[in-house]
Amino acid sequence: MKRDHREISGATDYSSGSGSRVDSSSLANSIKGKLWEDDQDAGGMDELLAVLGYKVRSSDMANVAQKLEMLEMVMGTAQEDGISHLSSDTVHRNPSDLSGWVQSMLTELNGPPTPNLDPVLTTSDSNSSNPQQNQSQPRVFSDDSEYDLRAIPGVAAYPPPKSDSDPESTRKRVKTSMSSSGYGPDSSFSSPQENGIPGAVTESSTRPIVLVDSQEAGVRLVHTLMACAEAVQQDNLKLADALVKHIGLLAASQTGAMRKVATYFAEALARRIYRIFPQDSLDPSYTDILQMHFYETCPYLKFAHFTANQAILEAFATANRVHVIDFGLKQGMQWPALMQALALRPGGPPAFRLTGIGPPQPDNTDALQQVGWKLAQLAETIGIEFEFRGFVANSLADLEPEMLDIRPPEVEVVAVNSVFELHRLLARPGGIEKVVSSIKAMKPRILTVVEQEANHNGPDFLDRFTEALHYYSSLFDSLEGSGVAPPSQDLAMSELYLGRQICNVVACEGMERVERHEPLSEWMSRMETEGFSPVHLGSNAYKQASMLLALFAGGDGYRVEEKNGCLMLGWHTRPLITTSAWRLATAETGAKS
Amino acid sequence: MALNHRRSCYRQDHHETVGENKEKRPKFFINDHADILIEILKRLDGRSLCIAASVCRLWCNIARSDSIWENLCFRHVSPPPSVRSVVLALGGYKRLYMGCVRPVRRRLGRARRASWARDEVQLSLSLFCVDYYERFGGSNSNGRLVGESSPSSLMFLCKPVNV
Repeated sequence: MKRDHREISGATDYSSGSGSRVDSSSLANSIKGKLWEDDQDAGGMDELLAVLGYKVRSSDMANVAQKLEMLEMVMGTAQEDGISHLSSDTVHRNPSDLSGWVQSMLTELNGPPTPNLDPVLTTSDSNSSNPQQNQSQPRVFSDDSEYDLRAIPGVAAYPPPKSDSDPESTRKRVKTSMSSSGYGPDSSFSSPQENGIPGAVTESSTRPIVLVDSQEAGVRLVHTLMACAEAVQQDNLKLADALVKHIGLLAASQTGAMRKVATYFAEALARRIYRIFPQDSLDPSYTDILQMHFYETCPYLKFAHFTANQAILEAFATANRVHVIDFGLKQGMQWPALMQALALRPGGPPAFRLTGIGPPQPDNTDALQQVGWKLAQLAETIGIEFEFRGFVANSLADLEPEMLDIRPPEVEVVAVNSVFELHRLLARPGGIEKVVSSIKAMKPRILTVVEQEANHNGPDFLDRFTEALHYYSSLFDSLEGSGVAPPSQDLAMSELYLGRQICNVVACEGMERVERHEPLSEWMSRMETEGFSPVHLGSNAYKQASMLLALFAGGDGYRVEEKNGCLMLGWHTRPLITTSAWRLATAETGAKS
Repeated sequence: MALNHRRSCYRQDHHETVGENKEKRPKFFINDHADILIEILKRLDGRSLCIAASVCRLWCNIARSDSIWENLCFRHVSPPPSVRSVVLALGGYKRLYMGCVRPVRRRLGRARRASWARDEVQLSLSLFCVDYYERFGGSNSNGRLVGESSPSSLMFLCKPVNV
């Protein structure tokens, strides 16, 4: 029997109680290694370890090894909780009985920290101390919190079907019909009322404990985020501060989309707590750049542009002069495709006039004019008569329809297009009403609106936070699944683009909170009360959208749905953006050509 | 096609050496009939066309001409009128095929339906136009955009699809 010196030193270090990662894992390895050697003596105790003073049954070795690994991991993540209490007021069984000792350590460490933080961990307590109590049915508990953990993608979602749950935990409700396929980037969402929280993070006795722990960390992460938001809402800033730091640690243990989402939300919460509000995009050209990268990595903006263009094209069917008013021109990426479609229209292209509206630039360069110039060059290339005007406005509500030189409808057909612009007006009282009345004064044949499909404008902060967490988790998930190699700049910029939105939703208030997304139902009722009636986006738009999505890597995850004549693009079952089209209800029914 | 061409060359030589005393029969050499050659090449698929371009100089010149690629793009669909001037202005049919039509057709391979051929073409044309806009859109508004790899909104077509 060869003694490996490494094994001995590992074991020795461990016996001195340092419990450092390397040592205990080498001990674990050495324990596993010994399974291959025939070291048993008559008492069933492992001989090598017995020499060192530990009594471990050889038959028990694998189990003990796994528990040691788990202990090491839990100790690593539990540092913030403070494990000093272990040294003072806990009772450990004789450490020479290694398996019993490990179990009692696990019990203590996973024992009761603040109950509203980590009720989840008490489950492993029950698992390790009462293996006989493995229940095959998950238990159902009443739960007064409202978040739906299934919404969180990645590792945090869907632990495997629970085999037992902690009877003392009163804060979790466990769905009995949990599927075990939830490990992947599956972020299927349901409404927050359906509280299927896979809170009881347990494993069947054969599952390796390592896996459970990272799941645990994921679930803890979500819980901590929620708890922090709740603390912020209750103005308990000290607690919120402590929790935010904890989130940072937990987020580091995650990978992929979950980690990024958690990091952005943690940053936003920190800003809210410390009142370091992000400066409202001083540099709109920077936002434009970010949006360009977002445009390229994922299909959301392309979907928006293509479906809106299709609606506009159909509304322009036989007009000879057309005028499009774009509420957010940015880089003008929407218009080349429309111009090309108009150029190839049977019967020849109409005269195309574009009015672009944009925010003021800090260095006074005329960004709008430059975009107009580019579009004019394109128009000349493909043979369309083109005219462009740019308007700089801080807010759409500042716009007066008289400024736009609207020509009478017999001469020119007008379309108004707004991609992710209308929700900003909800920050200002009276803003949206003013803009809608301006739109009505423009007498458009069609109004196309693209908005995020989420409710980030409720009065309650915690609700908004929860909604935003679900929504952006889905978005980040779809970015992960988009097949873009991770170190790509496009991906990083797209995430930054979304991160700024997250920051605005969570950290800002009042006039500064401009990302006031509302779902389709809200917009529909608003438009209808203002005197618009919906225009159904036809099957052509649906076809184009479906084909476009099929072209994207990860195309299987994207879904196009039609709802009330509007098209929604979503990731798996969660709709994320909606395109809708409107016309004036009292409009020229006869003039529709 | 290439094989036949070489074979016919060989046969020609053979005939010339063997049939010296016989009366010269009219030979058919495809390269003498460029119009027939064009008609044949027009009906090839993209890959074969590229192979044909490496046969000889005449074939290469013909295969490079844009009109052949036009047939490839609009094979199953009657092209909208006036599309030619637009496509030529935006970069030509070969570019349209290689950049848009081929990836679109390949990606949609599984999901395709025959009735969507026209919509595929429409989509390819739209993407082609967007690509042109990005490539030749004139000077950018600020220096930050230039300098890095210029954004191409067709990049997603180049990336492998994990289907």
